[in-house]
Amino acid sequence: MKRLEKFLPLLPVYLFYGLLFLFGRSVEGMWQPAALAAFYAALGQAFNVFLGMTGYVDFGYVAFMALGAYGMALTISNFYTIAWLDGWLILMGLIAAALFSGALSVAVGAIALRLRGAYFAIATVGVNEGFRFLLEGVKLWGGSEGIVISSKLRTAFGTEGASELSTFWADVFVFLIAGLAAFVTLRYMQSRIGYALTALREDEDAAKSMGIYTTKYKLIAFITSSALAGLIGATAWTLKLTYVFPADAFAIHYTVEAIVIVILGGAGTLMGPVVGGVLYAVLKYGLGVTFPGLQLLILAPIILAIIVLFPEGIVGVLKTRVQGTVLQKFIV
Amino acid sequence: MALLQTHGLTKRFGGLLAVDHVDLEIDSGEAVGIVGPNGSGKSTLFNLITGVHYPDEGKVFFDGREITQLAAHERAHLGIGRTFQIPRPFGSLTVRENVAIGAMFGTKEGQRDVEEALQFADEQLKRIGFYERRERRGRELTPTEMKMMEIARALAMRPRLLLLDEAMAGMPPKDIDALVELLKSIKQKEQIAVIAMVEHIMRAVVSFAEKVIVLYQGKKMIEAPPEQALSDPRVVDVYLGRESTE
Repeated sequence: MKRLEKFLPLLPVYLFYGLLFLFGRSVEGMWQPAALAAFYAALGQAFNVFLGMTGYVDFGYVAFMALGAYGMALTISNFYTIAWLDGWLILMGLIAAALFSGALSVAVGAIALRLRGAYFAIATVGVNEGFRFLLEGVKLWGGSEGIVISSKLRTAFGTEGASELSTFWADVFVFLIAGLAAFVTLRYMQSRIGYALTALREDEDAAKSMGIYTTKYKLIAFITSSALAGLIGATAWTLKLTYVFPADAFAIHYTVEAIVIVILGGAGTLMGPVVGGVLYAVLKYGLGVTFPGLQLLILAPIILAIIVLFPEGIVGVLKTRVQGTVLQKFIV
Repeated sequence: MALLQTHGLTKRFGGLLAVDHVDLEIDSGEAVGIVGPNGSGKSTLFNLITGVHYPDEGKVFFDGREITQLAAHERAHLGIGRTFQIPRPFGSLTVRENVAIGAMFGTKEGQRDVEEALQFADEQLKRIGFYERRERRGRELTPTEMKMMEIARALAMRPRLLLLDEAMAGMPPKDIDALVELLKSIKQKEQIAVIAMVEHIMRAVVSFAEKVIVLYQGKKMIEAPPEQALSDPRVVDVYLGRESTE
């Protein structure tokens, strides 16, 4: 019982995703909006592991999604003719995606995580732009033309299978990755890793003098967060869109959106990025439908207002409110 | 063999010689007061011992091992715990969690997993009479409470050497007495060496320390038993200025 109690905070998160999934499946024309909401929630959750738990801002975060997208695209491009692989091809792609972005995060983290605050943020912007120009400049991985996998997917899975993969399964994967991100976040929060990260976020020097090897824990959070981003890029981009273009994959606005989602929902909380992601998707999609062309102009003041009203994020404020009530066990 | 030794420890900040060839020798379980007016190099000396700064010259030894180049967290693992002059609690965490972090990451032998550390924190907090406040957040405490919590947090690391940076400054006399009693009992039971850095609260130093080191302009001016050190004419000069000879 005590063991299960630890997992109670996952209940509202999974309930939320479950309802979103059902809503998308049962209401005509709502699958794509629901998938978009799941994408933003997953993105927020993945980024929260680093931004929320360490307090470090990575402005080059989208690079990890891009590398994941390339990991999947390259795997499919190289192995799609091997018929017996079947669904394992996707699994291989997911593993490659996590490895690609994980490897980049080790390289970036080992150097940049020695920097603090704004210096770290600036260094990471450079990584994103640098990597994009590297691909385009040396014509690596298709250069600026990117990699198109639609015909390869049809060869591997048949016309029907390929279409189902990109219109349904790709989105289901995003839901599953979001669920995985929530699970990992909770496990971290309840372990020494979470305590170390909170301590260093609050006061890095004090954390060191308590015996916390801060670089190690920052790197753990960075690699985890990056690998999750890679999985999202591999599914929500490569599998769903069936192509990867460097100009799209390294677009910095995804990083900015991820930051907004985490801050909006509540940095460092479990439920925060889920609420932030879905709210952001609803606002962006809803405003896009009702005020086409003006959505960003209207979105900005709404987000500002929410951040002023909820400085610790929506769930951050909620978490403080439910202290000492029965709900305390569910909201962390 | 002394627990902590420094040889010719020197630190410059630009043209300022903050710590000037300081030799220390602190034994296991010894209680030492480091006294000196503002700017005498006390804090820098602490930072050199704990690994916040690295010295320009000189060496630091702990338990017979040279630690001059070790990082702060590695020194903590060996058994050096500290508090800060301006308290630095982990603000969003509760008192209990703050103290538990000490037990999770402190000395190598003392490290515990989360559950054990939280239980250990409860015991520590009961011992210093802080148990009722265990669910308060670090940032909600008064400065005096923060200082007590920092001591509990450092003790939870199971240190062999505890460095108290102005732990008593700004505390009401009643609390200072309680703290001195606590430190005495720790010393007796657990053989933890304590170095307390003090600018003004001489009463506490006299009742607690076995040895007082007076720092002045980065140099060690005197090292003696408390009464002797504090009545030394040079020390009186440093604090009160020279008596007029007219």
